[in-house]
Amino acid sequence: MSNSTQTQTKADASEQPQQQQKPQVLEEDDEFEDFPVEDWPQEEAEQNGSAANGGNEHLWEESWDDDDAAEDFSKQLREELKKVEASH
Amino acid sequence: MQLANEFRHAYSIASGPDLAAVLTPIATSNNPDRLRSFYQYTNIQYLTQDLHSNLFHGKNLKVPKNEQAAWVDIFAAYWEAVGEVLRCEGRHPGASATAIFTAWKKVSNALIKGYAGSNGLPAWTLPCLYTVGKFLRTFAIKADLEVASQGSSDFGFQDDLAVDVEKNANLEEAARIINRMFTLCLSDRAPIEESRKWGIYETTNLLFKTYFKINSVGLTKNLLRAINAQSHELPPLSAFPKSHIVTFEYYLGVIHFLDEQYTQAEEHLTTAWRMCHRGAYKNRELILTYLIPCHLVTTHTLPSKQLLAPFPRLEQLFRPLSNCIRKGDLVGFDQAMSAGEAEFVKRRIYLPLERGRDIALRNLFRKVFIAGGFEEPKDGQPPIRRTRVPVAEFAAALRIGTHATGRTRVDIDEVECLLANLIYKGLMKGYIARERGMIVLSKNNTAFPGTGV
Repeated sequence: MSNSTQTQTKADASEQPQQQQKPQVLEEDDEFEDFPVEDWPQEEAEQNGSAANGGNEHLWEESWDDDDAAEDFSKQLREELKKVEASH
Repeated sequence: MQLANEFRHAYSIASGPDLAAVLTPIATSNNPDRLRSFYQYTNIQYLTQDLHSNLFHGKNLKVPKNEQAAWVDIFAAYWEAVGEVLRCEGRHPGASATAIFTAWKKVSNALIKGYAGSNGLPAWTLPCLYTVGKFLRTFAIKADLEVASQGSSDFGFQDDLAVDVEKNANLEEAARIINRMFTLCLSDRAPIEESRKWGIYETTNLLFKTYFKINSVGLTKNLLRAINAQSHELPPLSAFPKSHIVTFEYYLGVIHFLDEQYTQAEEHLTTAWRMCHRGAYKNRELILTYLIPCHLVTTHTLPSKQLLAPFPRLEQLFRPLSNCIRKGDLVGFDQAMSAGEAEFVKRRIYLPLERGRDIALRNLFRKVFIAGGFEEPKDGQPPIRRTRVPVAEFAAALRIGTHATGRTRVDIDEVECLLANLIYKGLMKGYIARERGMIVLSKNNTAFPGTGV
């Protein structure tokens, strides 16, 4: 029995797509993946035990900044105000 | 029969994971022929008999009679499912993903039946339930894809709605079976050391994934209610393996997130983040995808370079937006939102990110306040910032922030409206003195709460 002739002659709609799907079936693109091990010590976790509180701080920043461009903005603001006043 | 050797070994050392590996319907790299050799070892006529004599022979292994019967049923169903898997791999005529799913349902049902009753399978075998449930879901998804691909060629003009209802039929059936696995764990009354209650979060996770896939996130609420009702009888979360808990907390976080309950979402996602294995790149990336918008909404903080550095995809997703928020660049913010729209919508994070515009506006107005400088100091008192700011200055800032050209007018009413909105949301503190065209801001470094001025 030759497999290749069989698939070529009898291949129908039910077989073709299924073959194409095969390699990518087990995990989906955007799904939370199974961990390769069931459990792990806290040292292997994202945040290890010693830094349980506050260790996250350097990961988040304030949403505003007092950058050195404050002078520029102040100048820009004065110019814009003049324009507004002139238009009234 | 090598499979029987593996079974006996796993049973003699009572290793759930080893036993679950025996029930896995795929070949392994170090034993690529494992399915075929098991399938060819016997045939339908001698199946039960062969299983009986192979699985339990040997003096060292004592398996109670009822357990023996359960395993023979389970492996008989497994043998048939393996046959379907091999037929599919060999592209036999009539082989199909649907046939595999049908056969695997029998494995699932035999396993569930094995646990039923007072002297069912012991709780240490629970990893079998996870593995069988996981493949039930996988095979159902494949079967649904197969049905869909046939449907589209056979009935090109089928009603869209009908297709939508039908397209997850197998996965919905899988969900009902996995739900029985969930109940099997939750309702076990055995003492906790030997209880199936230890399987509650892992079966819940499997259902969460399934409900998300069939777009029935609402159904997760039923599971959470059932777990809560039993919570006094469950061990604390910290007693469970981290893989169960990280997955559970992640989905719990996303469920709250989709309900726009960002504070709770942040709590669960933070727990998941902290406990997640450092090597689980994809999962860490997924947790952050939701945790970052949560942080923006609840604490108005942005991800640091350090946090995003290992995740170029997230860097691309969030960096432009973060920069515009920080600079108070409203036009840039709107552009970044529309540039990322498709991706944001797909990941269901558009809504919370949109709230970042208020933060950007707050930062722009905060710059006006800073640019206003200080009042004349009185009697050696520390300098106080100018807290009465003309509305016109905010209007001018808005022209800068929106890159308004010379001819575009910024309506003062509109500016007042934006200011009132920020005050209402607690991002600014003060009031509008309309008759004087002034904003009177709060003194003592509380004009823009939480930002130091």
